[in-house]
Amino acid sequence: MFVFLITDLFFYLIIISLILYVFHVIKTQDLLENWMYVFKNKIGILSVVVLFFFILITFIDSIHIKEKIYDQEKKEYIYSNEVKSLLDIILLPMHQYSEKSYSAPFSSYLYNKETIKLEKNTNKRVYPKLKYKGNHNKYSENNFHNITVILALSLLKSFFICLLIYVIVFYKTLFKSSFKNFFFIKNNKVFYYSFFFIIFTMISLYDLSLQYYVFGTDKVGVDVLYKSIKSIRTGILIGTLTTIVMLPFAIFLGILSGYIGGVADDIIQYIYTTLNSIPSVLLIASAILILQVYMTNNPSSFENLYERADLRLFFLCMILGLTSWTSLCRILRGESIKLREIEYVQVAKTFGLSKFSIIIRHIMPNIMHIVIISVVLDFSALVLAEAVLSYVNIGVDPTTYSWGNMINSARLEMSREPIVWWSLLAAFIFMFVLVLFANLFSDVVRDAFDPRLNNNHE
Amino acid sequence: MNNILEIKDLCISINSNIEENVLKNINFNIKESQIVSLIGESGSGKSLTALSIIRLLDKSCQIKKGEIIFLNKNILSLEEKEIRFIRKKYISMIFQEPMRSLNPVMSIYNQIKESYYKSKNINLRAIILKNLLSVGISEPERIINLYPHQLSGGMKQRVMIAMAIACKPKLLIADEPTTSLDVTTQKQVLDLLLDLKNRLNMSILFITHDLAVASQISDRIIVMKNGEVLENNNSLEFFRLPKNIYSQKLLDSSSYKKKIVKNIKTKNSNVLNVENLKVFYEEKKNFFIGKKVIIKAVDDISFLIKSGMTHAIVGESGSGKTTVAKAIMGLTDITFGNIKILNNNILELKGLNKRIFRKHYQMIFQDPFSSLNPRMRIGSIIKEGLCFLHPEMNNYDINLTLKDILTKVGLNENSLYKYPHQFSGGQRQRIAIARVLVLKPKLLICDEPTSSLDVTVQKQIIDLLLDIQNKTNISYLFISHDINLVSSISDTISVMHQGKIVESGDTSDIILNSKNEYTKKLLDSVPQIKK
Repeated sequence: MFVFLITDLFFYLIIISLILYVFHVIKTQDLLENWMYVFKNKIGILSVVVLFFFILITFIDSIHIKEKIYDQEKKEYIYSNEVKSLLDIILLPMHQYSEKSYSAPFSSYLYNKETIKLEKNTNKRVYPKLKYKGNHNKYSENNFHNITVILALSLLKSFFICLLIYVIVFYKTLFKSSFKNFFFIKNNKVFYYSFFFIIFTMISLYDLSLQYYVFGTDKVGVDVLYKSIKSIRTGILIGTLTTIVMLPFAIFLGILSGYIGGVADDIIQYIYTTLNSIPSVLLIASAILILQVYMTNNPSSFENLYERADLRLFFLCMILGLTSWTSLCRILRGESIKLREIEYVQVAKTFGLSKFSIIIRHIMPNIMHIVIISVVLDFSALVLAEAVLSYVNIGVDPTTYSWGNMINSARLEMSREPIVWWSLLAAFIFMFVLVLFANLFSDVVRDAFDPRLNNNHE
Repeated sequence: MNNILEIKDLCISINSNIEENVLKNINFNIKESQIVSLIGESGSGKSLTALSIIRLLDKSCQIKKGEIIFLNKNILSLEEKEIRFIRKKYISMIFQEPMRSLNPVMSIYNQIKESYYKSKNINLRAIILKNLLSVGISEPERIINLYPHQLSGGMKQRVMIAMAIACKPKLLIADEPTTSLDVTTQKQVLDLLLDLKNRLNMSILFITHDLAVASQISDRIIVMKNGEVLENNNSLEFFRLPKNIYSQKLLDSSSYKKKIVKNIKTKNSNVLNVENLKVFYEEKKNFFIGKKVIIKAVDDISFLIKSGMTHAIVGESGSGKTTVAKAIMGLTDITFGNIKILNNNILELKGLNKRIFRKHYQMIFQDPFSSLNPRMRIGSIIKEGLCFLHPEMNNYDINLTLKDILTKVGLNENSLYKYPHQFSGGQRQRIAIARVLVLKPKLLICDEPTSSLDVTVQKQIIDLLLDIQNKTNISYLFISHDINLVSSISDTISVMHQGKIVESGDTSDIILNSKNEYTKKLLDSVPQIKK
């Protein structure tokens, strides 16, 4: 049975609007030119490919189901209380079993010594062997040889998968020419390499994790790689949902205050200067605390833990959105003031167009490039904000997988002896890759939409 | 007389991947105490030539070959230190926009002091005061402590000139120094330049697109087009008998034939009747006290336009002429007065009637670069008003009308699917004209429709407007600062000054025997081509 959590629905909404936007771009000549600039740019196409896979993982992770299980007592099939995502099912070997406690990456033993009883009532302190992984080498007893074989095999697999995709795409005229053109553009070499590289990374990580803990395990023995992959959804959702919440405020209020002016302008300006002067961390903390009080007082309104955690994530996005619309609103206000005086708006007035249609026809299209640029720029800042907020315990629910929570727990792991470093490293690598490519992407997008650099497009 | 500057075979290209040179074999020289005018349309390479003389070229420009010899030295092969010395001592330059050439946070005194760099003279202040007096600033003690925003455009240009002549240069390069100024101020600046040339014995390289201005002051005329020198001739000979076809075309474009005087029928109906129009703005001087200052942008003006006639409003910037246009179009609030179009008082019309009635009167704006939405296709730009003001038309009719109007204004049919940035300035103005003509208005307000265009294109647009008037009996309200232009196309003229109409009447009356002092001054200041 499918379960739709509230953040899932919003993420589907984002995906649908993204697809609609793509169709809009294909139809509109000058937008297409701008985006083709992004695709023709080496860094642009690279970051597009990387971000595409991040979003793909998020999407798979956003399809939630409840499994049918057989109830022994009632003697009938019922739906399990546990909500799983499609990604959980795909990655089942990663989290099916968990070890006792910490273990280092690729290790065969636990990280801590334990006392085990020997035959003659003598105790010995040893590093116990891992139960499920690390000791079941398939190809060779030597770890190094085994890993090499796995990597070589996954290289072969990913090669065939890429070949398959290539054949499907080019099989006769399966796709429209516009898609085909995309595959033939100037920097498609970068596109193919990066695509292949990511496929290879994913397959080899999966294959390795069948026999090893690639990033070790955490305190309760859960695979850290699994945790990091699950955290992708949280990071992406915070980045995108917040934007969805923020955009209507920023665009609507920005244009209203810039174009209509007068009293509306005064009121909106007061609102955002006031909002800006409240420390946002305090605002977020208080909102999250209110939600927590509500949830403890009304436990009956939530079916299970997942819904509670999900609501908290959603609420966090809301409150982040409410505090972050002001800067974009301010930019849009300035731009609308500029456009209000420009002559084509005056012409539209002489045609007797209403204010609403002038805004839709003339103001909106001419500020959209600013909106796109700032949305892409804000995204990476929000992913980082989540980590910071979780660190001070006002972020997502502690049961939700997130990089912030991983870093927060790493605080204790780093202060013990010997230190546990792999949790922090895994969270760092994943977050670094996402934020880095989001930033690179936003740089290229900004160049593509900057009218001053437009002559570069030729 | 000796040559002070010689340019030999100068070739410059931009971006090394494009082989074509932007300047092709430029050859000319400037003699001592001579004014040479470089004339050409935008993009002809005249500013580039000037910048290469003073070696201020952009880094992307490459000098392919050629020599610029100034006082027996090749400027192009000098060290940076030496060229700085030459800029300091021998060659100065003044730019088009005095507003942008002065640093807004420095007082006039400090700015002028910069041009006396490393000067050992203790009595610098006195010298600066004397210098300012010599460029015609009457109260230098007051001016010297002011900041640029407190000065008018003409004053700023004088300060710029004072800075330029501070080092008593041998050569002054003036890059369109009067383009952004009013005619009366323009005349003063031109007189000043002539006077300085005689007094300081310096040469001037004068860059302009305006033949009339060039004819006022120059000894030699050099015509440039597409990076080539087409004609290099003595000023007198040039205006009497230009050798080159392009120069001939330029000359033709600068002078308009007198309009054919129509037999004015008494039956002609009133199209526009403006009665006692007043537009006042309130400006709060002080936020706390809230004392209001009333600015009278338009103060009690009246005029009448009959069908098929052209009425022109002439005035300097700030005279309120654009405000009149905006008031008629409903773009600003009217304090007092009546505006009757086709005998309907448009101020009394309400709601939908008012909107639909707009199809009878429309407006063309000054700048075709900002009057077309860059994100709309030409088709939808022209269609916009049509869909709104003629809701009875179906798609088929609209498409026919669009194609029809494009051929009328001289554009290709497939322009409908292009974007504004694919067109030149003149073509854009044609699109702007098409956009309003498609509504079949009875009255068209033209707010300086040609002032941002090149002279040859100006001529084409004016011809197009006159042609349309002959065919459709449309009335124009023509707003301009250019009396030359206006006198050739309008039937009646009003001269505006500080929000008031100082004189009004038939064009020939005003031009030939004006009674008003201000009108006379305006007419005097207009540069005419000396023949």
